[in-house]
Amino acid sequence: MQSIPSPSASTLTRLADALRRAIGAENVLTARSDLMVYECDGFVIEKNSPDVVVFPRSTADVVKIVKLCNEMQVPFVPRGAGTSLAGGCLPIGGGVMIVLMRLNRIVEINYRDRYAVVEPGVVNVHLTNALKGSGYHYAPDPSSQGACTIGGNVATNSGGPHTLKYGVTVNHVLGVEMVMADGAVVQLGGPAEDPLGLDLVGAFVGSEGTLGVVTKVWVRLTRNPQGWRTMLAIFESCDDATQAISEIIGAGIVPAALEMMDQGILVAIEAAFSFGFPLDAQAILLIEVDGLDAGLDQQRDQIVELCKKSKAREVRLAKDEKERLKLWKCRKQAFGAIGRLSPSYCTQDGVVPRTQLPLIQRKITEISAKYDIKIVNVFHAGDGNIHPILLFDERDAAQVERVLHASNEILEACLDCGGSVTGEHGIGVEKIHFMQKMFSPDDLVAMDNLRQAFNPVGNLSPMKMLPTAGGCGMEQKHPGRRAAL
Amino acid sequence: MGSPATSPTSSTDVVAAVQRARASKTPLQPVGGGTSLHFGLQSAATVEQLSLAQLNRVVDYPARDMTITVEAGITMAQLAETLVKEHQRLPVDVPQADRATIGGVIATNWNGHRRYGQGSLRDFVIGIEAVDGNGLLFHGGGRVVKNVAGYDFCKLLCGSFGTLGIITQVTLKVRPLPERSAWLACSVNDAKKAETMLAALQQSAVTPAAVELVSGSVWQKEAALAETNLTKDNFGLLVLLEGTTTEVLWMKDHLRREWREAGIVNPLMQDGCAEPWPAVQEFSAHIDSPLTVQASVTPSGVLPFVAACRKRDPDCSVLAHAGNGAVFVRFAKFPDKGLSELMMGDLQPAAAAHHGHVVILNAPPGAAITHRSVWGGEAPLAVMTAVKKKFDPLDLLNRGRFVYI
Ligand SMILES: Cc1cc2nc3c(=O)[nH]c(=O)nc-3n(C[C@H](O)[C@H](O)[C@H](O)COP(=O)(O)OP(=O)(O)OC[C@H]3O[C@@H](n4cnc5c(N)ncnc54)[C@H](O)[C@@H]3O)c2cc1C
Ligand SMILES: Cc1cc2nc3c(=O)[nH]c(=O)nc-3n(C[C@H](O)[C@H](O)[C@H](O)COP(=O)(O)OP(=O)(O)OC[C@H]3O[C@@H](n4cnc5c(N)ncnc54)[C@H](O)[C@@H]3O)c2cc1C
Repeated sequence: MQSIPSPSASTLTRLADALRRAIGAENVLTARSDLMVYECDGFVIEKNSPDVVVFPRSTADVVKIVKLCNEMQVPFVPRGAGTSLAGGCLPIGGGVMIVLMRLNRIVEINYRDRYAVVEPGVVNVHLTNALKGSGYHYAPDPSSQGACTIGGNVATNSGGPHTLKYGVTVNHVLGVEMVMADGAVVQLGGPAEDPLGLDLVGAFVGSEGTLGVVTKVWVRLTRNPQGWRTMLAIFESCDDATQAISEIIGAGIVPAALEMMDQGILVAIEAAFSFGFPLDAQAILLIEVDGLDAGLDQQRDQIVELCKKSKAREVRLAKDEKERLKLWKCRKQAFGAIGRLSPSYCTQDGVVPRTQLPLIQRKITEISAKYDIKIVNVFHAGDGNIHPILLFDERDAAQVERVLHASNEILEACLDCGGSVTGEHGIGVEKIHFMQKMFSPDDLVAMDNLRQAFNPVGNLSPMKMLPTAGGCGMEQKHPGRRAAL
Repeated sequence: MGSPATSPTSSTDVVAAVQRARASKTPLQPVGGGTSLHFGLQSAATVEQLSLAQLNRVVDYPARDMTITVEAGITMAQLAETLVKEHQRLPVDVPQADRATIGGVIATNWNGHRRYGQGSLRDFVIGIEAVDGNGLLFHGGGRVVKNVAGYDFCKLLCGSFGTLGIITQVTLKVRPLPERSAWLACSVNDAKKAETMLAALQQSAVTPAAVELVSGSVWQKEAALAETNLTKDNFGLLVLLEGTTTEVLWMKDHLRREWREAGIVNPLMQDGCAEPWPAVQEFSAHIDSPLTVQASVTPSGVLPFVAACRKRDPDCSVLAHAGNGAVFVRFAKFPDKGLSELMMGDLQPAAAAHHGHVVILNAPPGAAITHRSVWGGEAPLAVMTAVKKKFDPLDLLNRGRFVYI
């Protein structure tokens, strides 16, 4: 991968002028104070201001921007809502940040053929709202869905609590229109399945802004289930809870969602929202099955039995939609509640095979003790995707150091269990130093080959996701302090 | 054509074979079960066949994780046999399962009728190992069901026809076997009614695993469908229901009621078995048909596409995975006006009108197939060619067979 020289001040002035002429001065920011807003995304450790921020309003605008950047050899990076937790939007080497929030129309909704066409800046929940009452929904539901964009979801292959049954973003994207790194516009896929040739849509989703700038997305719509059964199982120990997860999956039940929260996070949620959780319980599972009403009671009963077999103290059932939404609120607001626990926190995003959850849970407890760092846990347990949250005070340098070591050790432990260092947040700049641990040098060459096929000059999102040829990944100095959304 | 197959027993052997091919500049053709090697154009150059038949082991099967890691040459039947012992399955239906290999199925991105309810093959591949045309052994994904580290080579290799890499090992996500399954079938008078019923199925509370539309002489001869009164001009609608016993019984009753209200008097029912009609699974594999094509269109484009085919050959037989828009057509005779004219003049525009394209699955040896007529349709070739050049710069892997030349 080539490294990009930083553009000179005079080049940047010329570029900003040209951009104002091309897409309108009101869509171009260059004032220092304006740029500061864009110096980082949800990953706040590394910061760097872009030199220019632009807000295209059409695909044609994006083409103009990309061509000008190429002419003047200035790097550029796409951005949606900036909720990335891996630093995907960090403008390394400065340059132009292309913010796609103003490309925000829902272009078409087609129920007969079950797809919608949206621009990349459409906020995930806005599509959900537009589909209300139709009997259809867009399945990927990241916890950040109130803010994040479909374009950002495509670039990061977002997941959410319902991905266990319904899959992640890539399973719901039929096609993308994108502006290539050289300014060419390409449509990959479209409303029909199985487009001719290579599955470049599949390769593009999750490419973290390194292969092209998405300007339109064809998404698949999913039928709403006829009914739900939502329950909360309360356990005396984390081991019992993880055992129950294993039992449920092992019994061949695929719940719509299966989320675990431990005592640490429960205490915070209870303090914030007073849901009436027993504070002495060590872990709870939020379990939801959905589908045909006819089959749901049977599945619910089976799950209750399996939980009891794994020593659940109690299984509470949501009686109605109101109670169901209340349970979900507690899960979705979990991160918001953490602010009460400590001044700073850092969320990890490892994955292990589901049967290894008890093991990784014990490992996290050990690591917490070893480094004297409090760790609370929220897991997308059904997928084996863990989100240990490390609590600390960023004013204390020694603590910061320990948090970094603890984080790394947790992710190493995930790899030792046969897992991955990221289930949904991506590599970005945050986890770039893990790529060489997960992949062989040849794997990385193959990945670089793919990037070069799309982005030969390397001026689109440079220095992300793949370690540079010299292997000098970024050295982390601080853990992230996550804003509570 | 092709020299006798070499048959590696490890991925290191495959690397060595590619290195030899690079040295001698001899194109290589990876071979799984050999069930669809006739497909696409063949290059005139000498091709060395590389059989994956001996790479056929189960590497790891942690059944409670619902994943399995296997070598690419394992047959679909062997795979199914392994999974069924744990009451699991890969819900992908493939013709000639006793020969077809998982590597070949992934290379061709084959999807059968259950895709409607279960998702497509690409959704089940979570880890992959392959050797590219540079002789590089590379991996993508892993063994966990959720993973976004690095580019998704699983998707890139699915449907790449072995032109970017020779697949040596894969990890699959699997599903529990359903407790019960049943088919419901009926005949529908005309295309308009068929479209109404397909659209209604999409609004129905019933959630089928498969929605098949059939027509033509092949189906009239199908004994299992005899009672549905399929004629030369009408259509058969076949719906597969899967789930717990309670769910399947409820869906059967509910769908019968809906169909009755739509004027269908006596739907046919096959209960308790998933495969009453091997014809559905094997339809596309009949190489004795003079010409077989496959179109991919939007679901609402299925009936218009079938109409276009019938216009050219009133005796053609059709199977459509109608919920997904995959249409297979077996023509009764070879087109008098010529293949190119049929493909490019009639069928391709008919598919394109519904966002799709059409490919030839089978034509008689010696038919004047051109690259354009095999792959009727437009693909973003510039990017595809750029990817091909990076993964196989000497153009050794399956030279000349895929959309790019
Ligand atoms: C509180 C909170 C909860 C979260 N929960 C989840 C969760 O449950 N599941 C999950 O997966 N993630 C979650 N995230 C992470 C984040 O929300 C997702 O990664 C989301 O998809 C990012 O969308 P965005 O629009 O904010 O993209 P951004 O942060 O703006 O960008 C993310 C990446 O995508 C690229 N990009 C953005 N738009 C485009 C485009 N149009 N074309 C090409 N590249 C583009 C950027 O360059 C960057 O690399 C959470 C984040 C927060 C803060
Ligand atoms: C367009 C199309 C046409 C089809 N036509 C027919 C048909 O006429 N009859 C029929 O029975 N089925 C057909 N099928 C379905 C076919 O049976 C399945 O795809 C089958 O599973 C192929 O498996 P195989 O092991 O027999 O592959 P093979 O026939 O051996 O190979 C099929 C293709 O995949 C490549 N390939 C095989 N193994 C690997 C590997 N390990 N790594 C990389 N590339 C590999 C081959 O080079 C070849 O291009 C067709 C499928 C498609 C998509």
